[in-house]
Amino acid sequence: MSRVRARFGAALVVAAVLAGALGGCGAKQGGGTEGGQADKEPYRIGAVVSLTGTYAGLGVPEKKAIELQRDAVNASGGINGHPVEVIFEDDATDPAKAAAAATKLIDQDGVLAIIGATGTAQTMAMRSEVQRAGVPQVSMAGGSVITDQLDPMVFQTPWPNRIVVPFVLKAIAGKGLAKVALISDSGGYGKDGHAIIAKEAPAAGITIVADETFNPGDTDMSSQLTKIRAAKPDAVLMWNAGKEAALIAKGMKQLGMTQPLFGGPGNGRKEFIQGAGDGAEGFRFAAGKILVPSAYGTDTEAYRVATEFIDSYTQKYGEPPDIFAGHAYDAFLIVVDALKRVEGEPTPAKLRDAIEQTKGLVGVGGTFSYSPTDHNGLTESELVLYRVENGAWVLDTQ
Amino acid sequence: MSGADALQFVASGLQNGAIYALMALGFTLVFASTGIINFAQGEFFMLGGMLVAAGVAAGVPLGACVIGAVAMTAAIGCLVERLALRPARSAGGLALVIITIGCSMLIKSGARHLFGPDERAVPPFTAGQPLRVAGALIDPQALWVIGLAVAAAAALTAVYRFTKVGLAMRACSISHDAARIVGIDTARVVMLAFGLAGALGALAGAAVAPVTQTAYDVGARMGLKGFAAALLGGLGDPVGAIVGGFALGLLESGAVAFVSGTYKDAVALVVLLAVLVLRPQGIVGRHLGEKL
Repeated sequence: MSRVRARFGAALVVAAVLAGALGGCGAKQGGGTEGGQADKEPYRIGAVVSLTGTYAGLGVPEKKAIELQRDAVNASGGINGHPVEVIFEDDATDPAKAAAAATKLIDQDGVLAIIGATGTAQTMAMRSEVQRAGVPQVSMAGGSVITDQLDPMVFQTPWPNRIVVPFVLKAIAGKGLAKVALISDSGGYGKDGHAIIAKEAPAAGITIVADETFNPGDTDMSSQLTKIRAAKPDAVLMWNAGKEAALIAKGMKQLGMTQPLFGGPGNGRKEFIQGAGDGAEGFRFAAGKILVPSAYGTDTEAYRVATEFIDSYTQKYGEPPDIFAGHAYDAFLIVVDALKRVEGEPTPAKLRDAIEQTKGLVGVGGTFSYSPTDHNGLTESELVLYRVENGAWVLDTQ
Repeated sequence: MSGADALQFVASGLQNGAIYALMALGFTLVFASTGIINFAQGEFFMLGGMLVAAGVAAGVPLGACVIGAVAMTAAIGCLVERLALRPARSAGGLALVIITIGCSMLIKSGARHLFGPDERAVPPFTAGQPLRVAGALIDPQALWVIGLAVAAAAALTAVYRFTKVGLAMRACSISHDAARIVGIDTARVVMLAFGLAGALGALAGAAVAPVTQTAYDVGARMGLKGFAAALLGGLGDPVGAIVGGFALGLLESGAVAFVSGTYKDAVALVVLLAVLVLRPQGIVGRHLGEKL
C-alpha cells in the first residue's frame, strides 16, 4: 500500500513539475539584458501581456516588439549608461491575473513603470494597483474607458474607440449604407466599442437594426448571424479584437450574407485572413498606417520611424509587425523617451511626470503629445481604412 | 421568425450538439468503466484539431491527418491511463480525478509549446458551396460533423451490444470486482475506455476545426460543455450522452435566438441545473441507485 502511495505521490510530483516547467517558461524569458552595460544598475520596466487566452495573438507580437526595442536600446549603450531590463508577465487574457501580475511587478520586482496590458479589461483591472503604488502604466489596449476615466498614472498608445468608432461610422455612411447590424463581444473592448457605437451612430446617420453579442472564446456565431440576416441590414459591423472575428466573416459567407462587413483595428491580424479564408475578402477595417507604410507619406518622420521598425522586426522574426507590435513599440518608446528626460535617479513619480510631458514624439501609431488632461494624445488623422483583397491588406481609397 | 431562420437555428444547434455528443460519449465511456470524471477529455478534443492543423501545415493529405490525429490521441488516452492513473488506482476516486486535471494541464502546456499560442485554420473536408435546405443554408462541413458523430455513436453502440469487448465493458460498468472474478481483464478494459475516449474527443476536434479554427486552449471550454451534455443525458449511459449532446446544442442555439448571445452559456447551464434537480439521473439515465 505504501509503495503504491509513494508511486502515486511521485507521479503527481512529476506531473506538477512538468506542468510548471512547461507553463512557466513563457514568463521567464526576456528578463535578460544582452548587449547592456554591466557597470550601471539596470532600469527595470514591467510588461503585462496576454501570451495565452483569447488575446494571445495580440500579446505575442507585443512581447516580440518590446524585446526587439529593448535589445536595440541596450546595444546602443542603454539610457544614460543604464541598461533596460524588461520583466514580462502573462495575464492569460484574465483581468484577475493582470491585477496579480501588476502587484508582483510593483512589490517584488520594484519596476519603474508597467507597460500593458494587452486588453482593455485587463488594463482596467490593474488600475487600483498602479494607483496604490504610484507607478505609471502605459496600456496597449484600445478601450476608450482607459483614458476617458482619466487616471494620473495611466497612459494609452492605441487609438481609443472614441476616435476609431466615428471614423468607421463615417466610412460606412460614406458608402451609402444606413442600416447597420452590430455584433460585438461581451469582453472589455467589445463592450466599450458597443457603447460608443450606440452613442455615435445617430450623428453619423446610421440606424442599428440588429445588436448581437457573443462571449470571448465562443466557437459558433451562426445563431447570432441568423438573427442579423433576418434584420436585413445594409452592412454588418463587428467590434472585437480576438480570434472570434474569423468565425463571423466565415459564418456570413456560409449563411449566404453578401452585406459588406466592417471592423476595427482589432481585426488587423493575418490569422483573421487565414481563418476566414474567402470570407475575409472585401472586409474593411480602420487601423493605423503600419500595415501599409506608404500611407504615412514617404517623406515623413513617421514613415522613417515605421519602416526602420518594420525592417528590423521582419529581419529578426521573419514576418512584418502587425498593429499590436506597433502599439508595444510605441509604449516602450514613450517610457524610454521619458526615462531619458528624467533628471537624476529615476523614480516612478518622476517618470510619470516625464511621461505626461511627452511632446511630439513620433511613434508607429501616431505622434504622441500627452497633457494632464489627455493621456492618449492621438487623433483621427492617424487612421486609414483598409480592405482585404486576395488575402492581403490594401488601402481602401473611398 | 421565418421558417428558414428557425431551420437555421436548428442546423446550428445540431452541429454543436453533434460535437457535444461525441465529447459526452468520451466522458461516459470512462465514467462507466472507472466511475471517475476524466477532466483531460477536453484536451483530447484540442489535440484532434491541433494535430490535424499541424499535419496539414506539414503537407500531409487531410484524410491521413484526421486518421492520424484520431489514432495518436487514442494512444495518448491509453498512455494517460497506463502511466498516470493505473499506478495510482488504489488511491481512490478523488485522487484519480485530480490526476486527470494534472494530465489536462500537461497536455495543454505541451501543445502550447509545440504548436504556439496562435489559432490555426484547417481546410474543410470537402470543398463546396453551402447547401440550401428549405431556405436554410447548411455548410457541408456541418454535415461531416453530424455524420461522423452519428457514425461514431452507431459504431460504439454496435461494439457495446454485439462484441465480447463490449460485453466486457458493460460488465465492468456494472461491477469491477465481479467482472474480474469471471476472468475479465479489467485493467485492459479501462485502458480501452480511455483510448476510445481519446479517439472520440479527437474526432470531434478534427471534424469541427474547419468550422471554428482551433488553438491550444480550446479544450477546457469544450470539456465543460461535453461534461454538461453527459450529465444532462445521464452520466454513464451512451444513449444518454448522445441525447444530452444534441439537447445542449439545441438549447444553446435557442438561447441565442430568444435571449442573447451573452447569456447563451448561462441559459444552457440553468436548464442543466433544473434537469438535475428534477431528474438527477439525467434525461435518459437510469437511477444511479439501481446500478449499485
